[in-house]
Amino acid sequence: MKNVLLLCFGTIFSITLYAQKNVKGTVTSVESKLPISGASISVKGSNLGAVSDEKGLFQLNVPQNYSKITISAVGYVSQELMISDQMNVALETSKSINLDEVLVVGYGTKSKKDVTSSISRVAAKDFQEQPVSTFEQALQGRSSGVFINAGSGKLGQGLKIRVRGISSISANQQPFVVIDGVPVVSQSLSSSSEPDNPLATLNPDDIESIEVLKDASSSAIYGARASNGVLLVTTKSGKKGKTKVNAGVSHGWTTPTHYQEFLNAAQYKELFTEAAKNADWDAAEEFEYETGTTDWNENYNTNWSRAAFQNGYVKQYTASLTGGDAKTRFLFSGSYNDQKGIIIGNRLARATGRLNFEHSINEIFKVGANLSLNQTNNYRVSSDNAFSNPVQLNALPPLQPMYDKDDGLLNRNTLYYNSLIEVEGNNRNINKIYRTISSGFIEANILSNLKFRSQNGIDWTNLQETNFLGRRTEDGAPGGYSYEGQTTSAIFTSTNTLSWLKGNDNYTVDALAGIEYQNGKMTGMDVTGRAFPSDKFTRIASAAIISGGSSSSTQYRFLSYFLRSNLKLFDKYLIGASVRADGSSRFSKNKPYGIFPAVSAGWIISEEKFLQNSNAISFLKLRSSFGRTGNAEIGNFSSLTLFSSGSYANVAGIIASQIGDPNLSWEKTDQFDIGLDFGFAKNRISGEIDYFFKNTKDLLLNVPLPSVNGFTSITKNIGDMENKGIEFVLNADIIRNTNFKWTSSFNISTYRNKVTRLVAPVLPTGRNLGRLAVGAPFGQFYTKKYMGVDPANGDALYMAADGSKTNDYAAAVDTVVGNPNPDYFGGWNNKFSYKGFELNLLFQFVKGGDIYNLAGIFQSVNGDYFDNQTVDQMRYWKKPGDITDIPQPRLYDGNGTSKSSRWVQDGSYLRFKSITLNYNLPKSISKKIGAENVKLFVSGQNLLTSTKYTGYDPEVNTQFIGSVNLNHDFYTPPLAKTFLIGINIDL
Amino acid sequence: MKKYIYILPFLLMLFMQIGCTKILDITPEQSIDAETAIENDQDAEALIVGAYSIMGGGALYGTNLLMIPDLLASEDVCSWRGTFKSYDEIASKSMAVDNADVERTWTNAYSAINNANILLANLDKIKDADTKNTLSGEAYFIRAILHFELVRLYGLQWGAQAGNTQAGIVLKVTPTINEAQAFLKTPRSSVKEVYTLVINDLKQAISQLPEDNGTRADKYTAQAFLSRVYMQQGDYVNARDAANTIIESGKYKMNASVSAVFSNKNTDESIWEIQQNDQNNAGESNDGMATFFASLDGIGRADVRMNLDFVDSYETGDYRKSSWYYIGTGRRSGNTYCSKWISFSQNLPVVRIAEMYLNRAECNLRLGTTVGDTPANDLEKIRNVVRVGLSPISNPTINDVMNERFHELAFEGLRIHDFRRLKMATGDYVWNDNHLVFPIPQRDINASEKVITQNPGY
Repeated sequence: MKNVLLLCFGTIFSITLYAQKNVKGTVTSVESKLPISGASISVKGSNLGAVSDEKGLFQLNVPQNYSKITISAVGYVSQELMISDQMNVALETSKSINLDEVLVVGYGTKSKKDVTSSISRVAAKDFQEQPVSTFEQALQGRSSGVFINAGSGKLGQGLKIRVRGISSISANQQPFVVIDGVPVVSQSLSSSSEPDNPLATLNPDDIESIEVLKDASSSAIYGARASNGVLLVTTKSGKKGKTKVNAGVSHGWTTPTHYQEFLNAAQYKELFTEAAKNADWDAAEEFEYETGTTDWNENYNTNWSRAAFQNGYVKQYTASLTGGDAKTRFLFSGSYNDQKGIIIGNRLARATGRLNFEHSINEIFKVGANLSLNQTNNYRVSSDNAFSNPVQLNALPPLQPMYDKDDGLLNRNTLYYNSLIEVEGNNRNINKIYRTISSGFIEANILSNLKFRSQNGIDWTNLQETNFLGRRTEDGAPGGYSYEGQTTSAIFTSTNTLSWLKGNDNYTVDALAGIEYQNGKMTGMDVTGRAFPSDKFTRIASAAIISGGSSSSTQYRFLSYFLRSNLKLFDKYLIGASVRADGSSRFSKNKPYGIFPAVSAGWIISEEKFLQNSNAISFLKLRSSFGRTGNAEIGNFSSLTLFSSGSYANVAGIIASQIGDPNLSWEKTDQFDIGLDFGFAKNRISGEIDYFFKNTKDLLLNVPLPSVNGFTSITKNIGDMENKGIEFVLNADIIRNTNFKWTSSFNISTYRNKVTRLVAPVLPTGRNLGRLAVGAPFGQFYTKKYMGVDPANGDALYMAADGSKTNDYAAAVDTVVGNPNPDYFGGWNNKFSYKGFELNLLFQFVKGGDIYNLAGIFQSVNGDYFDNQTVDQMRYWKKPGDITDIPQPRLYDGNGTSKSSRWVQDGSYLRFKSITLNYNLPKSISKKIGAENVKLFVSGQNLLTSTKYTGYDPEVNTQFIGSVNLNHDFYTPPLAKTFLIGINIDL
Repeated sequence: MKKYIYILPFLLMLFMQIGCTKILDITPEQSIDAETAIENDQDAEALIVGAYSIMGGGALYGTNLLMIPDLLASEDVCSWRGTFKSYDEIASKSMAVDNADVERTWTNAYSAINNANILLANLDKIKDADTKNTLSGEAYFIRAILHFELVRLYGLQWGAQAGNTQAGIVLKVTPTINEAQAFLKTPRSSVKEVYTLVINDLKQAISQLPEDNGTRADKYTAQAFLSRVYMQQGDYVNARDAANTIIESGKYKMNASVSAVFSNKNTDESIWEIQQNDQNNAGESNDGMATFFASLDGIGRADVRMNLDFVDSYETGDYRKSSWYYIGTGRRSGNTYCSKWISFSQNLPVVRIAEMYLNRAECNLRLGTTVGDTPANDLEKIRNVVRVGLSPISNPTINDVMNERFHELAFEGLRIHDFRRLKMATGDYVWNDNHLVFPIPQRDINASEKVITQNPGY
């Protein structure tokens, strides 16, 4: 390692310096003749550059061995010019989709034209008026190859993000998130069985762009963390020029996207009278026996399922201040966002503050800092699996009253827990999160083409959980219950890089060398208390019994070295290579370092003579890459044989708890990518198409051990899996009249996942259907196949081994009944503008992806038990000859209630994801009120969903049941439908 | 040229980081590496405490070993009303080979046995001679009773086959501390071999354990289990003598109140009980005896419901009927539940002196002897006017003793074992019915590549 670096520095020292020349100039617009401020002027083949000021003026010192500069500005066509002392440049307005867009890549930036890898970018302007509660939502439908499933309508809940398929089984499957160069925690810290989303603490308004690094050549620079893809988040920064003030206010209303319909009292009585009769029971007696009430004979008709929901709101207030001069640029922003969920008791309130600042000390040194401090209060709802989950209220019989008729309080004598009690009085379940993701950097232009950068950052999160349940609640009875916990996570990262650049008309070569050190530590403590004097006392200080207390700590470190180099020849041949060596405390002593190389190449065919003058083809680039990444989320101490503690009778003991494999290592993914970027008709039509193949090896799996030896499993690197797929993006500038413009962008992606090696198939557990088997996709649904109802007697039928129908469940065979992975998914975005109006429409779709409504086993079982049933159960079989799919109701008899494909449905959906209408007041009016610009907007989200799924929402993923059980729906609430109005003012 | 100067500090920063690869060595703070785990007396004691903490869990004495024997023979006594499929299968004798409780009892028992075996392999690390004796005795005790509990549940009853060659369980007397040992595939031993190990280990424990060992197992605890083992074998002479030794020691006596042994901790009546408190207990919502048995406001799932005929079979005026059974007021209220188990933090008596009196009385009656005392006097210790409100039986028959035993020790984890040794049927299941025997967890059959075999009937 040392030798490599020395060699690298040796090269650097061999560069000689020349005298410098002072270049001045102005940048103006061809059309308006007005100066362009903020245009970037860069010396080709070096790191040197300047930005034009408000009057379009710029100046910079250029060493004499450079001959060209490039001038670019957002919305204009870039120009490359020979250097002269005084340069007055006029730029033409860009009429096409910009291929000169600059992408953020690992440890740097790169022009999209020169990129040889596959990167998706979503810019702030694409989602700024939409009420995303967490910024990753903005990627949904806008970014090819990125599959996002919000999973649940609960606020602040973890999202499922899968970049190019699923690349792990038992380690993490979420992408690695880097915010302004600082790797951050995106894993839940909460003690709940449902992950919270730490990224929900960020203000989406602070974000300038999100880049998704999808292929190996872009992501391998992040080595052992990059197998699941990398999300690079860049926050906004200050711009040279007049100080700008921006303020925005918006207010929105939310309702669930869809309600499921359950039986009313009359239907319920009909169904259960029939069910009891068919099984020789008396319905009223049984109802009394099971509920302990005589409500059967009363006349209540309660709509319990609606009681779980409420109308929510979104309120957002933002303000920012940006500005700066040639030496100092800054952005100062603050926001307050308050969302009331659509599920009772659910709320998320977030306050954020940010200061991004940059200062050039002189021509050599630049320093800067990104500081942010956020506080989020998340009023959480119980896990989907808990009786206290409000959605489970839909199981309560409509015959039972919501309020007790004697004391007028919420009725406690219900079939299952009346979880409305959970949100009365002082009961609360709050996660309070304080978080700062902050970093400081120093940059030094050691030589004109050699830059050193040192960035040191910290991601510090403090989570405070408070859960109080009074004596009337199920878990709080008889004396009240309180849990308080604190978790602190601190990740310190230090990144030091040297970047070098050299080139002339024929070639450009750049190189990057870096060292990164990271230390992550998480500590937690919690206390549980019971028995309070009354529900007015909620803190553990007042608890008579301290029933639990614990503290925990875990830690990891990474020490990494990386190198990257890119070569561009004759502006058309591109070659890149990178390598990263990652050492981690997580890896075993036998294999402390992993090496992750990648190579890539690109050919800009349109620069070749035979296409240079083509009118049809304006841009064509073929690119390909191959490389290796890893997944180091393998647990902090998985390779060790450990004793943990276990106490007995107030004495602490130790238990042999883990048997370790001393050769345990990271998971490895080899990925091949080939892609074509194209532009037709002066780039009015542009797009890209990619094919990828990912082969993941050495997946961590728990190998079962004969437990008679004292351990049930050992974690070893044994599994293999592959993902392959195609991604396609098409952008078009359909209409571009002076007044009316229409641009459209469409993307569609696929991935096909296949498990290729396992120790043994992982069969579905309990009531779930997800399995892992060699040759099958991850999470394939596997159980007995439901074949409808026997018209002769109303028996439920299943498929037997020979394919015939049988009413004997035991004689039926397990078979493949569905695939939760989508066939394809994507989005279609349209932007129309007419004078001051701008309309944005986004459609998002998923085809395939079966859903298993796990709650069906209770709520759609033709009245087998007293759970309220979905209305479709009224189609039950009544008499011989009836053709229906709902078996004859037979109380307690289990007619069609066993686990089967009866509740598997197609999860395809097309969603009108968002609509935004902006209106910019004419300048003449806005000037009158002293504003630069006034924008009014209305926006809607999830307004329409087209799906055949009959549950709450097809975008579902019940989270407590583990990752193998994809697309299971167990009393999981739907997403919110939002309607929003707002105003945004620039001063 | 002076610009080069700037490079130097940066190079220095870079190389400072390269130098120290030791920073990648991090040791966990919540657990310890096996290499340094057992070094002295204190570590060795911790190993034994660890084994107790496993035994106190729901998989073993915290729930299953106390609850399941009554569920397996629940006919006419109680019924399982809960939603846990695994217990439902046990109560209805239709255990699946992946039954979660069948699996966790097996795996946890072997986990505790491993702790015991690790201790026995590290006796040389213990400096104090008394400590070494006690800890070694406890390790033998733990290994013995867990092998015994498993062989009773996972193998056919002693005596079911001539020579007791029927498959028992896997004998585990070596420690596992590395990967190679963890992959060992050992076949099941015969029931006879398992009993031989159990008896030898218990004798070894008796010879090493002190007479008083606080709340942990002592000489008499091992002795009490030995009596149980002999009872299970129908060896009435040895069972009687073991019970007699304990009674003669004078260390234990019956409480005046029938509920004291359950509501108070470590009373005179109890020979060994699992220690629980508000912080350490088998569970408060999904595990633990009170969780499954109780029906009180905020306590219990009311899953084990008493059969009224059984409750009514206590004689009129028997205090045990009114003290040990109640009408539920929590979940599934209005039905009858057992109040031996109503608090999350109560201790769980595993063996109490009442059982030893009943053992001695039964053995003496069957053998026609009066070693220690007459059956009438032994029975009187259990059944007298002060304690239960009933007058003693002057000339008890074997039926009287058994009747007293089933009423006294109900829901304490003895029922199915007594039925088996007495060759009694529960419902339609005869004593040696394959359905009364747990399946060997399928996971172990798979992981051992069928070196471990399945029981008949599965």
